[in-house]
Amino acid sequence: MIVTVTLNPAVDEEYLLPEFRPGGWSRATHVDRSPGGKGINVSMILSQLGCESAAMGFLAGFTGEYVRDVLRRHRITTNFVHVPGETRTNVYIVDEIGHIETGIAELGPYIPEDALGRLVTNFDRMLHRAHLVSIGGSLPPGVPQDFYRELVRNAKAKGIPTFIDAAGAPLMAALEAGPTVAKIDHRFMARVAGIPLTSIDNLIEIVSKVHDQGVEYAVTSYRSYGDVFFTPGGIYLAALDRRDFVSMFGAGDALMAGLVVAYDERMSAEECVRFSMACAYEDSLHVEKGVRSREAVEALMDKIEVEKLS
Amino acid sequence: MRIGDVMDRDLTAIAPDSPVSEAIEVLSRHRLTGVPVVDEEGHVLGFISEKDIIKAALPGYFEYLQDSSFIPDFDQFQARLRRISREPVQRFMVKKVATFKEEDSDFSVAMTLIQQNIKRAPVLREGILVGVANRADLLERLMADGDGK
Repeated sequence: MIVTVTLNPAVDEEYLLPEFRPGGWSRATHVDRSPGGKGINVSMILSQLGCESAAMGFLAGFTGEYVRDVLRRHRITTNFVHVPGETRTNVYIVDEIGHIETGIAELGPYIPEDALGRLVTNFDRMLHRAHLVSIGGSLPPGVPQDFYRELVRNAKAKGIPTFIDAAGAPLMAALEAGPTVAKIDHRFMARVAGIPLTSIDNLIEIVSKVHDQGVEYAVTSYRSYGDVFFTPGGIYLAALDRRDFVSMFGAGDALMAGLVVAYDERMSAEECVRFSMACAYEDSLHVEKGVRSREAVEALMDKIEVEKLS
Repeated sequence: MRIGDVMDRDLTAIAPDSPVSEAIEVLSRHRLTGVPVVDEEGHVLGFISEKDIIKAALPGYFEYLQDSSFIPDFDQFQARLRRISREPVQRFMVKKVATFKEEDSDFSVAMTLIQQNIKRAPVLREGILVGVANRADLLERLMADGDGK
C-alpha cells in the first residue's frame, strides 16, 4: 500500500477570473473546491491514475470533515488524527488575461503534543502494510520543524522507500534521514549550500550534495528551462510547451504522484522523467487540480522534451 | 456487492493500552459511536464503544438492573468516569467482535449488523483492519437497491 502523509491539509479553493484587480469586487467565472495539501493531492491523483493509497495526517473541524468526506467518496483509505480548530483553507486566483496566479495560504490549526504522539503511533502501524511512503507539505503550528526526520527514519528502518516534497527546515531535517526521492526547492538549497544559482553546473553541484545523503532521485526546477531530474540512470533536463497552460495549481503534486507511480512500476529513468512530467503537464491543461486519466497522461509523454545532461 | 467495495475505508483505531480518556476524545472528535482496538500491526483485538464506556462508569449494582435510567446522581457517574479514564481500554473493550471479510456480501453484513444490533463493525483482510461496515450506510444502500427495482 502507498501511504501519503499530509500534516497540514487544506481545502483548496481555486477561482478563475478574467482580470484580477486588488481593492474591489471581482466575480469568478469558475470555482473549483477540493481537498488539498501535498500528500492528499498525491493520493487524489494516484486514485485518478488507478492506484490505491492511504492518506494520513491531521484534520480539524468542519473543513476537516469536508476533506475526509471527499477522500471517502474517492475510495481513498484514511487514517487521520482529528484535532481542535479548523483545517485551513487556501485560496488560489487565476487571472486569465494576465496569466498571473496568486495564492493565499492559512497557517493551519495548532497540533497538541498528544496528537503528535498519536500520529506517530498510527504511522508506525501503517508501515506494517506500506510499501512506499510519500510525505509532503508545510508543518502546522505545534509540530517541530524536524518532525519529518522521524517519519523518514521510521520508514527507512523498515526498508520502505520514502518520497519527500517540502521546503525549508522541514526538508533539511527529512534529507538528514536520507529519503529515497526528494523534490527540492533549488533557491533554498542554493542559500544553504552557499552556491550561487548562476548556471546548471552550480545546480548539479548543489543537488549532488543531496545525493551524498543517500537520496536516489531528486527533482528541482531550473529557471524557465524546465525541471532537472537526478536519477541513478543519469541527470535529465525535461521541458514542455507552456503555451497550453490554463493553471499550474497542483502541477508540482501531479509531478510527485507521477514519480510515485513510475518508481512503484520500476519504469526506466527516462520513462520516469517523461511520465512524471506528463502528469504535471496534464494537470496544467485545465482549471481543476489533478489529471483526467492515466490515458490522458500517457498521451502527453511524447510531448515532453528530455535531454540527458550526463 | 462485496462489502469491500462499499465499506468505509477509515482506519481510525486505538491501541489496547490507550487510556479510556483517549478513546472518549477519539469518539467525540471523529464523531463515532465506537472504534476498533488494534495491535501495532493493525490486527483487531476488540472494539470499544461509548456504550462500553458508559457501562464501565456505572456503579456496580446497576449491572444487575441493566438500566441506566435508575442512576440517582450524575455526580457519581461523572466521578466514576473520571476514575476509569486512565485505565487502558483493553479492560473494557468487547473482545468477541463481529468482523467481516471484504468478500462478504453487503446484504449478509447488513443483516448481521441489524440482527445483532451493531452500528459499526471492522472489515478485515488476513486479520488486519482495512475498513469499517456502517449500518447506516448499508441501510442507505438497501434503500437505493429497492428504488432501482
